[in-house]
Amino acid sequence: MKFYEIPENLTQEIDLFDQQIGEYQEGKMDQVKFKGVRVAHGIYEQRKPKTHMVRIRCASGGVTPEQLRKVSQLAQKYGSGEVHVTTRQEMQLHYVDLENVITVYEELISVGLSPRGGGGNTVRNVLASYDSGVSRDEVFDVSPYAVALTSRMISEKDSWNLPRKFKIAFSNNDTDTSRAAVTCLGFIAKERDGQLGFKVYCAGGQGSKPLLGQVLFDFVTEDKVYAISKAIKIMFDKYGNRRQRSKAKLKFLWDKLGKDDFLKKFHEEYKEYENRKELNLVLEPILNSSEVKKNHEAIKVEGEEFDLWKKRYTKPQKQEGLYMIEVPLNLGDIEGPDGEKIADELENFGSNILRFSVDQNFHIRNIPEMYLGNIYKLVDSITSLSKDPKMFAPMIACTGADTCKLGICLPRGVTPQIQDILRKSDLDLDALSDVKIHISGCPNTCGCHHVADLGFFGKVMRKGKDMMPGYNILAGAISDEGQTRFAIKVDEVAAKDLPLFVKTFLGRYLEKKHKYQYFHEYIDAEGQDDIHAVCDQFRELPTKDENEKYYFDWGSKDSFSLLKGQKAECSAGMFDMIDVDLKIVKEEVAHFESESEKEAKTQALYRLIFSSSRMLLVTRGIEAKTDEEIFDNFIQHFIRTDLVEEKFTSIVLVAKEKKMDELLDRYEEVLDLSQAVKALHKSMDDSLRFLDKEGNILGQSYNAKKEESVAQKDTGSKADQFKDLRGVGCPINFVKVKITMASMKKGETLLIWLDDGSPVENVPRSVSQEGHAVLSLDKEDDHWAVLIQKA
Amino acid sequence: MNFEMDLNEEQIERYSRHILLQDVGLEGQIKINESKVLLIGAGGLGAPIAMYLAAAGVGTIGLVDADNVDLSNLQRQIIHFTEDIGVPKVDSSEKKIKSINPDVSVVKIKEFADAQNIREMIRGWDFVIDGTDTFGIKFLVNDACVLEKKPFSHGGILRFAGQTMTVLPNTSACYRCVFLKPPPANAVPTCSQAGVLGAIAGMLGTIQAAEALKFITEVGDLLTDRLLSFDAKTMKFREVAFSKNPECGVCGENASIKELEDIVAPVCDLK
Repeated sequence: MKFYEIPENLTQEIDLFDQQIGEYQEGKMDQVKFKGVRVAHGIYEQRKPKTHMVRIRCASGGVTPEQLRKVSQLAQKYGSGEVHVTTRQEMQLHYVDLENVITVYEELISVGLSPRGGGGNTVRNVLASYDSGVSRDEVFDVSPYAVALTSRMISEKDSWNLPRKFKIAFSNNDTDTSRAAVTCLGFIAKERDGQLGFKVYCAGGQGSKPLLGQVLFDFVTEDKVYAISKAIKIMFDKYGNRRQRSKAKLKFLWDKLGKDDFLKKFHEEYKEYENRKELNLVLEPILNSSEVKKNHEAIKVEGEEFDLWKKRYTKPQKQEGLYMIEVPLNLGDIEGPDGEKIADELENFGSNILRFSVDQNFHIRNIPEMYLGNIYKLVDSITSLSKDPKMFAPMIACTGADTCKLGICLPRGVTPQIQDILRKSDLDLDALSDVKIHISGCPNTCGCHHVADLGFFGKVMRKGKDMMPGYNILAGAISDEGQTRFAIKVDEVAAKDLPLFVKTFLGRYLEKKHKYQYFHEYIDAEGQDDIHAVCDQFRELPTKDENEKYYFDWGSKDSFSLLKGQKAECSAGMFDMIDVDLKIVKEEVAHFESESEKEAKTQALYRLIFSSSRMLLVTRGIEAKTDEEIFDNFIQHFIRTDLVEEKFTSIVLVAKEKKMDELLDRYEEVLDLSQAVKALHKSMDDSLRFLDKEGNILGQSYNAKKEESVAQKDTGSKADQFKDLRGVGCPINFVKVKITMASMKKGETLLIWLDDGSPVENVPRSVSQEGHAVLSLDKEDDHWAVLIQKA
Repeated sequence: MNFEMDLNEEQIERYSRHILLQDVGLEGQIKINESKVLLIGAGGLGAPIAMYLAAAGVGTIGLVDADNVDLSNLQRQIIHFTEDIGVPKVDSSEKKIKSINPDVSVVKIKEFADAQNIREMIRGWDFVIDGTDTFGIKFLVNDACVLEKKPFSHGGILRFAGQTMTVLPNTSACYRCVFLKPPPANAVPTCSQAGVLGAIAGMLGTIQAAEALKFITEVGDLLTDRLLSFDAKTMKFREVAFSKNPECGVCGENASIKELEDIVAPVCDLK
């Protein structure tokens, strides 16, 4: 069996890709353009130079033993040796050399697998509930829809160049195990008046701004899956925000258009496809039955361990006598030889036998009861996790700062610590199998913390001048169609204390668990208070001198730093740092007012100036080490640039020169300064620019390099249109300029970004030759910003 | 109007060299993509014309020809290949057009144009190109286009020479304004006796294709009120100016031709 059909044109695309890799290696294609090419093929560059990650599509999480064997072999031959299971039911190979990418690609195709659309702005892997087709509680099997829709979508050219990624999911019942209610387009199986169909959600998503999906159809018959998917895709393609990557996902389109307009535009497209029966998906039922090879011997296993395993990890299917088995993986990893071993054994049971789940585990299905011993032996030989209580199986941790440029913390470092402390504790872990713990290293939800029972995402914490790794604590997500909600942010804890926090808090929950049916009910009733109470135990943080360990993340040998050796890519960490000072400002104002001691009041005022000065330095890429540096930089970057009034220079200098006696007399100036900085912070937009009431950008009057780039972004915001043409070669870049200008009115402006070299040498000249005005031409980091006015 | 929606990435790349032309640009390309051009004759002239118009992305190309491909065609009718011998010319042409540019729609009319069907045939097209090879039919195409007010390009080749003009009915001189009436039978050699240098078909056909594209995109000055002729032996080009002839039988002040009739003329067996 196959979980999707490889489209015929893929071979040509691979030939082209092969050629493009060659061009890139010979230096004929620049890096930016090549990135665009390879990412859409599911090939991501990793931090280790010249190595790549290959993400392989597995529609509905399905893979055959033959396919798993091939991928496992490829992992050993060309990759890091292991197969990684993702939270979107796919497989990934890591650290593949660029020269082997095409070989890997072709080998994958030979077994009916493709990485096309693994990444980039494409139709991504289509999910289906891992137990679809075998669950006793399902409405009907949704996986044939995921499979057929995948085959259709990957054969359509318009699937590969969308404004942003497009994720589709199918759930077989209201427990929504594929998270259809929080994705771009989600289908949840329903039955109405004897008819099978779906409730359809769209424009949901996780990420740093999680949004629940919106109801597109309360009920629609099952034959409309393609028409809906196609209409959403076309609409996304037409109206999605291509200009601003951070606002490009479908969920932002709903925001931008508003419900009525979104639905109107959707129905305009939908009506074109709604009744075109010839386009309906060709569904192939997926048969779930026992297909044990003749003569395959059943292994009989007995004993307490086996029984416990059976209780924890196996479940009877709706097909009488057949079982499904969950196999927990350590953070989604399967060692290559283990993958082959799994394939060898499972091949005895047929090809429809394996599913990956969104919690990065795999599920074996269609096993007759008498063969459970065989599976037990198999699982036992590849993981020790299956001896653990089930609560460890669904733990998710993103890769974090060790490989990800965005990361703040290291979830993969802290996860084993949590497991370890729980294993050693006397808590009844089997009673905790309803608590799913998910951890992300930063506010981006690669670790799915928003859909966790207990979720964490990395943040920066501070003690005095020093930063340490910490985690925000979230709790109480609900995944149940109609009631779905994200986890609520409750409190925060230092990374060092996280394992102990988890243990202590879960201990409290166990004591009260009997009162509640669901964990989220406990969270709503008293769980949040308990979290605060436990956090209180860890509230007092040691200074670096008192306990240095707090300043190292789990699994890291280096002391914690956000900006170390690179540009501050993670704006999230930046906002944390700002928040720290905002909080101090608030507290010190209160201190100043409540303290009676002269000395205490003076200290409060000093700290006020200090934090006010430091608060926004990070937005200018400055990490000042000493008090003096902080004051100097504040004067240079905020007062001299007129962001903050000139009159405050004097009071900042008083602090810098530590003339503490003067502070008390001039307390009003100090309070005014903190007000001024707070107001400035309030005027800051998402791009870290400060705007006046009319929306004009403030503070560009001095000549530092950083400011130049801000000024250019300024031009961008004022231009009527924007086109990022980096990575687009001559003459197509000019073609695109012409196309954009064709729809512009006379006098309107267009800002373009161009690569250095022949693009910037040619395009502006061509624009002038056609009579348009080139208003400005500025070098900005690795590219040029050109502002054009239509003649 | 959002032009970007009209062309996909692949089309933008395919037509980039048109879009780059200041006078064509995206607007011009979209006009081309939306245009409909009818070729009467899929032979020596029709071949290069159809291929260039297909490559340019003309939305719909109509082909009128009832013949099958013959071995003697292949010397100049470059849209047909050796393996197409015996295949209807419209089918052979369609295959090549689609292969050059799948965006193009082809309307095949496997008939010879005559007085009965031609007016109906040319209705609904934006521009007509005369790629026929006998005087009689050339007058028929001219008269039909004038009566239907259909802009068209006249073209003719013989031996080493070619001539062409573009006609905007009632605005510019028509073919009949210049030549009045077909020459008497036997006054000109039949084509098979005369022969033709294959490349002449390409030289003239591409001029006609260029005129069609200029008309569609409204760029430049059309070859109206002028007859362009050349002799490849000396490779000299000549242009003779004409104006509308008040005495013209079809567009003159007292035009007598209101209905079409087939004109008996030397039949050309050089298809």
